[in-house]
Amino acid sequence: MIVLDCGDLFDTWRQQARWLLSHQINPDQVSWSVPEDADLFTSDDHYPEQLGPFQARVPLELVELLQNAAQYCGEQRWSLLYEVLWRVSHGDRTAMLAGDKLGSELHRRLKQVSREAHHLHAFLRFIALPVSPNPKDLAVKAALLETQSLPEYVAWHEPAHDILRSASEHFVGRLGRHRWMIATPKDGVFYDGQQLIHKRQCPDAWQALARNADDPHGELWLTYYSHIFNPARLNPRVMQGHLPARFWKNLPEGPLIPALISEARTGKQRDGQARKIAERKGKVIRG
Amino acid sequence: MQLIDKLSILADAAKYDASCASSAAPKRSSEGKSGIGSSTGMGICHSYTPDGRCVSLLKILLTNFCLYDCQYCVNRRSSDVPRARFTPEEVVTLTLDFYRRNCVSGLFLSSGIIRSADYTMEQLVRVAKLLREEHEFRGYIHLKTIPEADPALIEEAGRYADRLSVNIELPTQLGLQTLAPEKEMGSIKQAMQTIYTGQQTVLNEPRAPRFTPAGQSTQMIVGADDTDDSTLLHTAESLYGDFRLKRVYYSAFSPIPNSPKSVPLAAPPLMREHRLYQADFLLRGYGYRANELLDGPGHLALDIDPKLAWALEHRDVFPLDLNCAEPAMIARIPGIGIRTTKRLVELRRQRRIRYEDLTRLRCVLAKARPFIITSDYHPRQAESSSVMLREQLRDRPQPQQMALWG
Repeated sequence: MIVLDCGDLFDTWRQQARWLLSHQINPDQVSWSVPEDADLFTSDDHYPEQLGPFQARVPLELVELLQNAAQYCGEQRWSLLYEVLWRVSHGDRTAMLAGDKLGSELHRRLKQVSREAHHLHAFLRFIALPVSPNPKDLAVKAALLETQSLPEYVAWHEPAHDILRSASEHFVGRLGRHRWMIATPKDGVFYDGQQLIHKRQCPDAWQALARNADDPHGELWLTYYSHIFNPARLNPRVMQGHLPARFWKNLPEGPLIPALISEARTGKQRDGQARKIAERKGKVIRG
Repeated sequence: MQLIDKLSILADAAKYDASCASSAAPKRSSEGKSGIGSSTGMGICHSYTPDGRCVSLLKILLTNFCLYDCQYCVNRRSSDVPRARFTPEEVVTLTLDFYRRNCVSGLFLSSGIIRSADYTMEQLVRVAKLLREEHEFRGYIHLKTIPEADPALIEEAGRYADRLSVNIELPTQLGLQTLAPEKEMGSIKQAMQTIYTGQQTVLNEPRAPRFTPAGQSTQMIVGADDTDDSTLLHTAESLYGDFRLKRVYYSAFSPIPNSPKSVPLAAPPLMREHRLYQADFLLRGYGYRANELLDGPGHLALDIDPKLAWALEHRDVFPLDLNCAEPAMIARIPGIGIRTTKRLVELRRQRRIRYEDLTRLRCVLAKARPFIITSDYHPRQAESSSVMLREQLRDRPQPQQMALWG
C-alpha cells in the first residue's frame, strides 16, 4: 500500500496522481491520508521518482470535474478522484457519468460543493466596521491583521467544504471597490479593493475581528424578517430543507425563528398579519 | 414615524405578493467600479422565513395608503390597518443597507395607489432612478407596474428595472368587477402589452439600453373567488403566449384582518397553490398544453401531481422503454425530471440502461416503476388499472395539527 499526503491541495494531488498513473498503480494499492495516520500503513514497494512509461490521456472536462469535486471534505476525498481518473484513463468514460456507481458519488460531491458555494453567497452576512477618523489608529489595527488596509465589512462563515477561495470571488463583483474580509474556522479571505488574498490558515486576528464585530444597526433587518413572514402559511419543514439549521447560529435572524414558529402555531390569529401590526391603531381612508 | 416603524408596517403590507425572485437578470459586476451590486442570472435566496418562502429581495410597499378598495387586499381603503409612507430616499437607504449586509440581492418595490396612478408610478420610478443613477446600484430591481399609469412612465420604469410586473390578481372580468371595482382587465393587459412592446423594441439591438432584461411577471390569487384551476391555467397559458411572461405566480388567498364578507376567512389553500405551480412548471418546462392537464372546467387533483394524473390518463403511451424512447416522452414519466432525462440519454449512448441506474440517478421510483421498461425490468403493474395505481400512488394527507386552527 502506498500512502500519500497531498496537504489537501489539488495541484499536489494532481502531480501525485500523474506519477501513480504513469507507473500503472492500481487505485486499490494507494491511499491518501493525513501525515499522522501515515505510519499505520507501510509500503514494501519501491518506486522511482521519475514518471513511468504509461501515458494517460483524459478529457479536459474531467480535470475540471475533479478539481471541483476536490473541494469536497469527507471520507476518501482524494482516493475517489484517483479511482475515477484511473477508469477514464483506461477507456471507461462512464466513471464520469452520474448513472455509474462511482460517477454517481462524484456527482453527489460536485452537487454538495456547488450547494455549499451557493450557501456562502446566500447565508453569509457582512457587518460594517465603525470608521475611525484617526489614521494612526487605522494603521495600528491593520498591522494587527497583517494587512495593508482595514476591511470595511467583515463576516464569519462556517462552510462544510473547501469552497471559500473560489466562491468568495462572487463578492468582488458584488461590493465593487469596498474592502471586505471573510473568516472561517479554517481559511480566510481579504479583498483590499484590488485583489483577493487567501490564507489557508485564517489568522487569529481575522477570526477575532469577524466573530466579535458589533452590529448597532442590526434591528432593521430583524424587523423586516419578522414582518415579511406570513404566519398563516407556516411551513417550517420546507424552510429547514432550504435553510439547514447549522446556518441558524451565524444568521442574525436565526434566534428569531423558533419564536416565530411557535407564535404562529399557538397564536389565536387566523390571518397573515404580524401581531405587532395588529396591535397598532389602524386608519380607514375616506375619499 | 421612525424608519423602523415604517419598515414593519410596509413589509407586513407587502407579504401577500408571492414573487421574490432575483433570477434571469443579465450579468453585471461592480469589480473595479464605484457603486455596488452585481447580478449573475442565478437568483439567490438569502434567507427563508418559517413559511418556507425565500427572501431574495427587500420586498416592500412605498406606501400602503390606497385609494382602491380591492376586497382581497389588506391595504384596501376601507381596511383598518396602520398606514405609513416611505420617502424614495428612505427606500434607497434600506436597500443599500440590506444589500451591503448580503441580506438581499435587490429591491422589489410596490405601492398602494395615492393621488393618481401616474403620481404613484412616478414615485416608484424615482426610487429606481436614484438607485441606478446616483448610487450606481447594479443589483436586482423589480418594480410593480400600476396598470393605469401613462405608458411613458411604464417605459421609463422598464429602463431601470430588471423586471416589471402587472398583477392580474383575478383572471376574469367578473371577478374583478365583484372584488376589485377600480381595476379593469383591459388596462391590465394594455400595461402588459406596453412592457412586451418595450422588450420587442430592444430585441436584436445590442446597442439599445436594456429593457426589463429579466422579463415581466404577474400574479393570480387562488381561492379569493370561485375561479377554477382550469381558468387559472388557461389564463396563464395565454399570458405566456401573448406577452411572453417570464413567470405567473399563484398566491393562495391568505385571510386578512378585518376580512370583508366578500372573501373567505379560511386557511390559505396551500396544496391547491402547490398543484398549480407544478402544472405551471409543466407548461413552461415540459411542453404540456393547458388542455392536456385540464380539458374542461374544474380543478387539478389534490392527491396526485398533475404529471402523474396525465400519465394515468394516458396508459396507452406507457410503459416506455428507456433505452429507445424519445427524450421528450421520457420527461413525461412520473418521477423522472428533465435533468434525469438528460442523464439517461447521456448514459444510454455508452451502454444499456438498467433498473439500478435509476436508483443512482435518484428518480422517484415508486412513481416511475409502473411506467418504465429497462434492459432488465418490465413492470408487473403494467396490467394494473389506473384506478388501482392511483390508489397506490396518491399522496396521503398529512396528519393535521389540531392546535393550528382549532
